[in-house]
Amino acid sequence: MRILLIEDDELVADAVVRGLTLAGFTVDHAASAELGRAALAEHFDLAVIDIGLPGADGLTLLAALRGEGRTMPVLMLTARDTLADKIRAFNLGADDFLMKPFEQAELAARCRALIRRASLSPSGIVRLGRLTIDLNGHQLQVDEHPVELTRREWLVLETLAHNLGRIVTKERLMQALAGWEQDLTPNAVETHISRLRGKLGSAVQIRAVRGLGYRLDEVGAAPP
Amino acid sequence: MMTVRRRLLLLLLPALALLMLIGGVVDYRVAVVTTRNAYDRALANTALALAANIQIEDGRLRFSRARASGALEGSTLYAIWGPDHQLISGTPQLTATAAATAASPSRNAGRAGYRDTQLQGQSWRVADVTASTALGAVLIVVAETQERRAHTQQVMLLGKLLVDFAELDLTLLLVWVAVYYGLRPLDRLTAQIERQSPRELQRIDESQVPGELRSLIVTFNRVQELLHAAAQAQQRFVADAAHQMRTPVAGLLAQLELLLQEPGAAALSTQLGALQRGIQQLARSANQLLALARAEPVAALHENFQPVALKPLIEELVERYVDRADKVGIDLGAEAHAASVRGDTGLLEDLLENLVDNALKYAPRGGHVTVRSARDGAVAYLEVEDDGPGIPDAERARVRERFYRLPGSAGIGCGLGLAIVDEIARVHGAAFSIGSGAGGRGARMRVRFSAVA
Repeated sequence: MRILLIEDDELVADAVVRGLTLAGFTVDHAASAELGRAALAEHFDLAVIDIGLPGADGLTLLAALRGEGRTMPVLMLTARDTLADKIRAFNLGADDFLMKPFEQAELAARCRALIRRASLSPSGIVRLGRLTIDLNGHQLQVDEHPVELTRREWLVLETLAHNLGRIVTKERLMQALAGWEQDLTPNAVETHISRLRGKLGSAVQIRAVRGLGYRLDEVGAAPP
Repeated sequence: MMTVRRRLLLLLLPALALLMLIGGVVDYRVAVVTTRNAYDRALANTALALAANIQIEDGRLRFSRARASGALEGSTLYAIWGPDHQLISGTPQLTATAAATAASPSRNAGRAGYRDTQLQGQSWRVADVTASTALGAVLIVVAETQERRAHTQQVMLLGKLLVDFAELDLTLLLVWVAVYYGLRPLDRLTAQIERQSPRELQRIDESQVPGELRSLIVTFNRVQELLHAAAQAQQRFVADAAHQMRTPVAGLLAQLELLLQEPGAAALSTQLGALQRGIQQLARSANQLLALARAEPVAALHENFQPVALKPLIEELVERYVDRADKVGIDLGAEAHAASVRGDTGLLEDLLENLVDNALKYAPRGGHVTVRSARDGAVAYLEVEDDGPGIPDAERARVRERFYRLPGSAGIGCGLGLAIVDEIARVHGAAFSIGSGAGGRGARMRVRFSAVA
């Protein structure tokens, strides 16, 4: 999977290029918005753009890309933690936002999740370690063996897969199930989650975040 | 300092009272002289009336008491002395005194002379008139007690004093009312400034204040503008400083992380780990100092305040911190109920981050940290509870101080976290309290805001 990093700071750029390469990505680097724009003539699965670029800044570049109809996922890096920047970035069409300093593992995990989520819509197929989820064909395979899910378990897994690496609140899962179950209780969500866990075994992790919801995680951050 | 109102009253009242007093004394003196002259003239008229009753009979001067009785009142004494100083009629005691006066060469006929005298143990007013007859000059002496004059004067004085007193009261009342209403614009201006929050910088319309206050308000507005400019400069500085520091720190940490994965790193892992922790601490301290600068009253502009929903704030924060909590073996959870406050989202994020960061540092491996929000009537609160060692009662006030660290917590943090929370709570008009967690264990940090709909 190919990533373009647009970052002017040499120390950061060098480490990120090496770190993401170690994590299994193919990484190109551009040191300015203009160079990045030129590089993006080619296909990339993801762009990681620093906001504080010299000359035209990252947000301007993002706006230009979206203005051209480029839909590739974009992760913005920033050293400024003003909320205004964050809100502007999301409004301009950024898919994720990471504050400096960050951990390499977190950056790699987010890149992976962004690329997976982006590939969901065209193919409908998610590969997560030993798991293959075909969202269009409503089929699930663990280690290439089909696994049968109930309609409700499928709805839960589908919702989690669409939000890979992000927490899905219990309310949201209840909404997803609402069409199929009357008098839905939060306990019902827990029941479906625990059954789903039983069927998936150790292939993936459905992490419960107390009081919030669930997050679908790949087991071990193995290179894609 | 004394109020202008009191100062004006203190200046005006004694001066007015003194003026009234002087007026009273002058009035009294005028009244005394007027009554004396009037009574004196009446007394002289009595003497002249007596003179009209002196006749010459058989070559001698005679006085008819019966015919003159109309002119004489009960207490009035008289004496009529002939040219040879012989008493024609009246009280002989008036003789000596009268004789002395009668001799006065300045006395013209028909003109009266007046004096005071003592007679029979009483104070008398005496008038003498010289009348000329065919047999020579006759001296008529008339005396009346001072009692009636004194009485009249007392009545006049009393009346005068009453009027003066009423006048004084009325004047004071008018002065007080005038001063009170005259200074009303000052009160209105004060109320207008007080209504503004000290941090909400607003110009005051100079055309709406009295002329005397205009230059003060012009200065006030200029200071407001300076404060505003300073606040914006600080915001810019903080943003720039953040940028200048975070990028190299990010580079250092990313490089170190790679270095730790190198095949030969195991031999140096202790040193590299220490280096990594040091840089992380540097990054955190820098972040906290910047957060503190952002929370300074001068920088936390109320014009940036808007309704902030606490629930999404908590959900976003827990999502961001859940992996970090996993790493230190702490179960991070939320109990977020809908509640909104008026504030600055960025600052409230800083506040929550510092509370959670703090809890994750002190809770033990296997412990729990719970972030809550709820609304209780007019109060909305944010709360972070852990089941760590807690903060002893005696330390609860001190831990909010900048750079103060609990005894025995060496090496953990730089002692700014709760100071930031305190500062941010303060600019939001919220109350930050430190208590114990459920069952008296751990710490419960609560920030109470006034809720908005």
